[in-house]
Amino acid sequence: MNLIQFMGALELGLLYGVVAIGVLLSFRILDFPDLTVDGSFPLGAAVSAILIVSGVDPWLATAAAILAGMAAGFTTAWISVRWNILHLLASILTMTALYSINLRIMGRPNIALLGEKTIFTPLENLSFPHLYIMPTAMFVVSGIAVLFIYRFLSSEKGLAMRATGANTRMAKAQGISVNIQILSGLAISNGLVALAGALFAQSQGFADVNLGVGTIIFGLAAVIVGEAFFNPKVILSALVACVIGSIFYRLAIAMALNASFLGLQASDLNLVTSILVGFAMVTPKLRAKILDFKAARSKA
Amino acid sequence: MIRLTDLHVTFNRGTAMEKKALRGVTLNIKKGDFVCVIGGNGAGKSTLLNALCGDVPVEKGSVLIDEKDVTTLSSWKRAPYVARVFQDPMAGTCANLTIEENMALAMSRGEKRTFRLAIKKDWREKFRSQLSRLKLGLENRLQDPIGLLSGGQRQAVSLIMAVLKPMKIIALDEHTAALDPKTAAFILDLTREIVEEKHLTALMVTHSMNQALELGNRTLMLHEGRVVFDVSGKDRKGLTVNDLLDLFHKASGLELDDDSLLLS
Repeated sequence: MNLIQFMGALELGLLYGVVAIGVLLSFRILDFPDLTVDGSFPLGAAVSAILIVSGVDPWLATAAAILAGMAAGFTTAWISVRWNILHLLASILTMTALYSINLRIMGRPNIALLGEKTIFTPLENLSFPHLYIMPTAMFVVSGIAVLFIYRFLSSEKGLAMRATGANTRMAKAQGISVNIQILSGLAISNGLVALAGALFAQSQGFADVNLGVGTIIFGLAAVIVGEAFFNPKVILSALVACVIGSIFYRLAIAMALNASFLGLQASDLNLVTSILVGFAMVTPKLRAKILDFKAARSKA
Repeated sequence: MIRLTDLHVTFNRGTAMEKKALRGVTLNIKKGDFVCVIGGNGAGKSTLLNALCGDVPVEKGSVLIDEKDVTTLSSWKRAPYVARVFQDPMAGTCANLTIEENMALAMSRGEKRTFRLAIKKDWREKFRSQLSRLKLGLENRLQDPIGLLSGGQRQAVSLIMAVLKPMKIIALDEHTAALDPKTAAFILDLTREIVEEKHLTALMVTHSMNQALELGNRTLMLHEGRVVFDVSGKDRKGLTVNDLLDLFHKASGLELDDDSLLLS
């Protein structure tokens, strides 16, 4: 792997770190497995891209992308809590609908942003080695996301959200509306993911309706890798861990794709990710089983 | 004053599993009353408590707290008036939150939650002083996840948490049933102390006749969703478990055959 590839992986890792924070919020904090992100990531890309090519200020376009993502998350949560639909199913409904919506928003399957003014355009004029600009920018973005979500989760509202995911009965007994927590939590989570989608479109120079395939698995992979390496006990380290997990993951993937003896292609990414995440999910259960087995044998 | 009037609750209505859990229970709890509810399995005692807390929908009857009709309010909206301690020691606290985070959640019970930091500096002093009465050393472990504590310790913290904020009534749902006898006695003593000290109004569900006589100033027995007897004041003084059995027999014409009630 050369430096350019390394920096590219670092940039993507930090960008997907924002996705990972969103997934951490839904999966871990709220205990709500949310597949909406597969739709809200390209939604963020689509909204920001179409607005930018229409001449809207890129900052405004990015803000609009965040709002669109929040609406998507809210929709999933509403379907789930209002109509008592299983969380996974509710999120699949929204995700599927978003595919059509994203096509409608863009009017075509993809939009190129080459030569358009994006929020990263001003950075090109900096007297900073070009290679390091984007990773630095993404570092700043994911850093702000970590601090923002950390501050939120330390607030009275944020603590209520954590209680909701951890112990619904207790949360209710403390006067917390579980439904409101799920609605706002998923909105924040998908807002973050859509932000990542908008930044992806602007940094990579395109938006595509198929961008979102596997977003949830990448996010989950980052969360799991982060947890495996850091075993975080407090919320700040959990947030940092999932961003670092995302970077590790991207670097590992970049290395695997570059190792010609493995014979992997870029298109194998989703397969490799699924296998890794599947493995990470099975391992703790397998370990527990082996321990049980050993304990049973030593007793006998 | 808490008024439960003619409460009816039916589970699985219209199915083969239909169960009439409450069939017209009326109970007025005066301010400062400490009511102990006993009854065998399926007598409706937990349902009565859950109807007060808003966990089960009431099909007929009403729940009034200080003349405010809360019959249709969901449980989280009743939290300003009702503090709770659950039977399961794991249910009253969040395992992966720290002791102080759990207590901070209880400090905001029933209040509007804002974007301000959840844990205020001056709260920590209050948490420490409240925890120190337990003599478990928890006052020095505010930043430990509460999941590290034993069931008894967690139940003690739940009890402390329940009374951090003022309430109209504290609902105790067999809160010692899942503990070993020594820990149960500790929690029971703590309950008595706290209720007396703060002059709380309390409704305690228990499966133990001894507990129901030992604690509080009023003992209520439920059977098949109805109140069998309700003794307080002079009538209650000096009562023994055998007297309760007689009362039950007289009122219902049945012999009590629930081992769990007689043995504990």
